Amino acid sequence: MTPLLEIKNLKTRFFTSEGVVKAVNNVSYSMESGEILGVVGESGCGKSVHALSIMQLVQDPPGKITNGEVWLDGKDLLTFSEKEMKKIRGSDVAMIFQDPMTSLNPVFTVGFQIVEALRLHNDMTKAEARERAGELLALVGIPGAEQRLDDYPHQFSGGMRQRAMIAMGLSCEPKLLIADEPTTALDVTIQAQIVDLVKKLQDDLGMAIMWITHDLGVIAEMADRINVMYAGAIIESGNVRNIYKKTRHPYTMGLLGSLPRLDEDPGAELLSVPGLPPDLLALPKGCAFAARCGYRTEKCLEEKPPLEEIDGREHAVACWHWEEIAGSK
Amino acid sequence: MSRYIIRRIFSVIPTLIGVTFVIFMFQRLIPGDPAVAMLGEHATEESVERLREQFGLNRPLFLDREALAEGDINGFFDSQYVRYMKRLLVLDMGESIHRRIPVLETLKIRFPATIELAFFAMFIAIIIGIPIGIISAANRNTPIDSISMVGSLVGVSMPIFWLGLMEIMLFAVMLQWLPAGGRISVGVEIESITNLYLVDSILTANWVGFKDASQHIILPAIALATIPMGIIARMTRSSMLDVLQEDYIRTAKAKGLGHSLVLFRHALKNASLPVVTIVGLQMGTLLAGAVLTETIFSWPGIGRWVYDGILGRDYPIVQGGTLVIAFVFIGVNFFVDIMYAFLDPRIRYN
Amino acid sequence: MAEITPEEITVTDFAVREHRSLWVDAWRRLISSNTARLGMFIVAFFLLSTTFAHFFWEYEPKKDLNYSLKLKPPTLIPNEEVPSVHPFGTDKLGRDIFRRVVHGGWNSLRVGIVAVSISLFFGGLTGLFTGFYENIDTTHIEKLFLFGLTGLVLGSLSAWIAAQPIQAIFFAILGVIAAYFKDFQKGKALRMVVFAIAGALIGAILGAFVSSAVALISLIWGAITGALLSRPLEGKFFSNVMMRLMDIILSFPGYLLAIAIVAFLGPGLEKGMIAIGVVGIPVYARLTRSAVLSVSQKEYILAAQSVGEGHGRIIFRHITPNILSPIIVQTTMGLAGAILSAAALGFLGLGAIPPEPEWGSMLGDSYRYLTSGAWWAVLFPGLAIMFSVLGFNLLGDGLRDALDPKLRT
Ligand SMILES: Nc1ncnc2c1ncn2[C@@H]1O[C@H](COP(=O)(O)OP(=O)(O)OP(=O)(O)O)[C@@H](O)[C@H]1O
Ligand SMILES: [Mg+2]
Repeated sequence: MTPLLEIKNLKTRFFTSEGVVKAVNNVSYSMESGEILGVVGESGCGKSVHALSIMQLVQDPPGKITNGEVWLDGKDLLTFSEKEMKKIRGSDVAMIFQDPMTSLNPVFTVGFQIVEALRLHNDMTKAEARERAGELLALVGIPGAEQRLDDYPHQFSGGMRQRAMIAMGLSCEPKLLIADEPTTALDVTIQAQIVDLVKKLQDDLGMAIMWITHDLGVIAEMADRINVMYAGAIIESGNVRNIYKKTRHPYTMGLLGSLPRLDEDPGAELLSVPGLPPDLLALPKGCAFAARCGYRTEKCLEEKPPLEEIDGREHAVACWHWEEIAGSK
Repeated sequence: MSRYIIRRIFSVIPTLIGVTFVIFMFQRLIPGDPAVAMLGEHATEESVERLREQFGLNRPLFLDREALAEGDINGFFDSQYVRYMKRLLVLDMGESIHRRIPVLETLKIRFPATIELAFFAMFIAIIIGIPIGIISAANRNTPIDSISMVGSLVGVSMPIFWLGLMEIMLFAVMLQWLPAGGRISVGVEIESITNLYLVDSILTANWVGFKDASQHIILPAIALATIPMGIIARMTRSSMLDVLQEDYIRTAKAKGLGHSLVLFRHALKNASLPVVTIVGLQMGTLLAGAVLTETIFSWPGIGRWVYDGILGRDYPIVQGGTLVIAFVFIGVNFFVDIMYAFLDPRIRYN
Repeated sequence: MAEITPEEITVTDFAVREHRSLWVDAWRRLISSNTARLGMFIVAFFLLSTTFAHFFWEYEPKKDLNYSLKLKPPTLIPNEEVPSVHPFGTDKLGRDIFRRVVHGGWNSLRVGIVAVSISLFFGGLTGLFTGFYENIDTTHIEKLFLFGLTGLVLGSLSAWIAAQPIQAIFFAILGVIAAYFKDFQKGKALRMVVFAIAGALIGAILGAFVSSAVALISLIWGAITGALLSRPLEGKFFSNVMMRLMDIILSFPGYLLAIAIVAFLGPGLEKGMIAIGVVGIPVYARLTRSAVLSVSQKEYILAAQSVGEGHGRIIFRHITPNILSPIIVQTTMGLAGAILSAAALGFLGLGAIPPEPEWGSMLGDSYRYLTSGAWWAVLFPGLAIMFSVLGFNLLGDGLRDALDPKLRT
């Protein structure tokens, strides 16, 4: 069976006046349909840019996807024309963004913005689309959905706006929903509600979800697999059990070490590992994490470790010292 | 919405009163006695005095302290300013000192001429300026962008009276395509309804008149439109660029909307807010510029008329003309505020 | 201010340091932009050429007259008809247009520069203070001053009616008392009644010396004054009044207002400068005010306030350097606008007094000869206006890009 999404050697660069920002470096992984994939990593490590690259929405200029393949359902999206891509966006792959306050257009009603998405990809009359939009708003738990269609975004609270964004994302029943830190801008109780909502919707509708976050607690609860990113690359990836219980990368360990009781505190944020992430304008020759790593050796500074599969297909890590780490545990 | 409009109306009132006050002050402060100006320098003192009596020019400006000291409270308030305000309320603007024609009569003919010219010029400025701005923004940092931006900066830098003269030289004198001045050719009649010739000729299906009036308005309108056109183009560009950075534009693209829908539906409406404001403010530039264009193109509007009035100390003309121009400007900007509320729901619902 | 607290040093340092690198950055961006370089070149060209001409190329307009050379087209090679070189031709009095354009620049640019200085000075100060006090509470002393002044202004009407200047002083004192008892909060209504009665008494008692009618009017006005003074007038109120005033000036079409001012003052170059300067005041006032409003919420201002720096010091040491960029841009573009307005006034015959050369009035002198084919008399002064204005606009545009913090990410 071909995977739903398969990314191979994706590279995205920003050509700025200060130099080339290497935002995504050789990212490869795949996702099955119906799967929930968590993507974690420090701020600025390229999570959003890699997701935008899938949609081909990286701001251009200065951004460019310089290399790679993005296979969705057996088709390489990177070979698609802009016209073909338009059909994919919103219908096969939908995306919701971090800040619901600014992600909805303030001068159109919420209903209009959902109807617009519906009519773009489905052959629907205005009335049908409107009815469906009402159903969607009700589905994401907005009370009095029918009437709220005519409200403008500023008349919604932050949580409601994010619900509306989700409704918009789900409108065309995408196979893949990319949620880029959908709860970061919301307060804790609302965050929990949104997470529950997405879990419930996933149970009902069965789409695959890519959940980008800082929140390791939530991701442990909902994801099937996790990709840990550092400096534009995946440095550890595997199912939730392996990532949390058999951690093999010093960076992931640092992230988890700074996390108090996993399953009890859903609001826990990634606390940073000591030191700063490398400058994406000038990545080191060897392992990007070496400068902050306690296991660093000559080799780490000289050679970049590849992402190797360990424990069969369920776990992969990019570190020269993973065996040493496994032994010391 | 209606509350918003009412609030706006109330906030305009002090400005309107202030404007009438300033106009009043200016006329009285300009040196030179209008009675003398009217009768000529050799007039007898007696006749000058009679005239001043007749126009109320011998009353105090605001309040009559001496009348009050004698216990005459009515006399206290019977001043030039109070008389002026009273007359304004019934739209009595007096008559021109030199020509003895009621100001209102002249305004009825001249004001539409200026309005027609100004609105036509604004129309040109908008239909050219906004697309240039959009195209520049959509092609940011390309040669198209640089050319249109330097081009619109040339427009902003244009001395419009000079441009008008160059137009006359080229199109009227050398090529002889268009008339050099005036509003209409001798012999062409347009039945007056609104006194806006273009409108009237359409209303009466007078195509000969329409063609003639269009030929006359085109050159002055282009001259007048140049500066606002440049400003509108630049404003549209920068405001489009701002909006195109917004998150909701990314959302719109993520939905699968195409380039042009994103640009014209999602970006343009947001970007139009500052543009609308600038259009309102530019209306002032247009009305002011009318003084110059009307001079060059012998356009029978109020700009030139007020200018002559100022130089000739013809108070009623200055008063009536300036008042009308200022009120139009305030009115247009009031309308802009209302437009704003239509375009931006956040204002409408606050 | 003998001692300097450590906090103060950091506060000042913060603002200044941030700015030094900003200016260097901005300068680099400025000279790397083609359009800005073109602007600088044009501006420098006009400034230098007119200044040099003014000081080193003598020209006496009053003696420049030669009917035999009336309206000759541009002549580069002297011939029988035109025995001298006139690259731009000659005007209706046979004067060399090239020479007059070069010398006219001195006048045109001078009008622009002086006019903008006037607008900038008055508008800038107005904006600075109104913006500042709109955001930041007045100190006690400032409040006493403002209320006293308000009392004095309002009371002077009553004083004028009764011909008793002393009344104005009483009202000023009433204002100071109102400010002094600002904590007298036993119900706003009560406070208002008390001050209204006090005002009414001042007006009526003093007015009664003149006549009963005067006493009556003074009583009414005094009561209104007192009631107004009892209101908690804050900086915001005064700033609103100023801005309304600016709105009123802005409601008049620029040229008409300038023409009216010139008509009031009489024609002449200096009067033109004043007229254009006055008309420009509101633009700078509004711009400065909004810049101040956005800056005065910044940390360093709040920090300076919290360590107890005086308001004057905060305004001139901390706020002014931080709002300079929009003002520099506006000033540059304002110069362009002022040169245009000056030319317009000159064209209408309200600028330089003939035969003094000035671009606008050169156009005004010659345009009637256009129909008889003398295009050169109109073309060249106009080009001079357009290019000098364009130069300042290009420079201002480049400055905006260079200084715009939004592009600094
Ligand atoms: N338009 C752009 N121009 C230049 N560099 C950019 C641009 N967008 C992103 N980058 C760079 O790409 C890198 C990755 O950014 P990205 O937004 O993907 O981070 P992220 O992992 O999503 O962080 P966060 O958790 O804060 O959202 C950053 O270093 C950023 O500076
Ligand atoms: Mg992100």
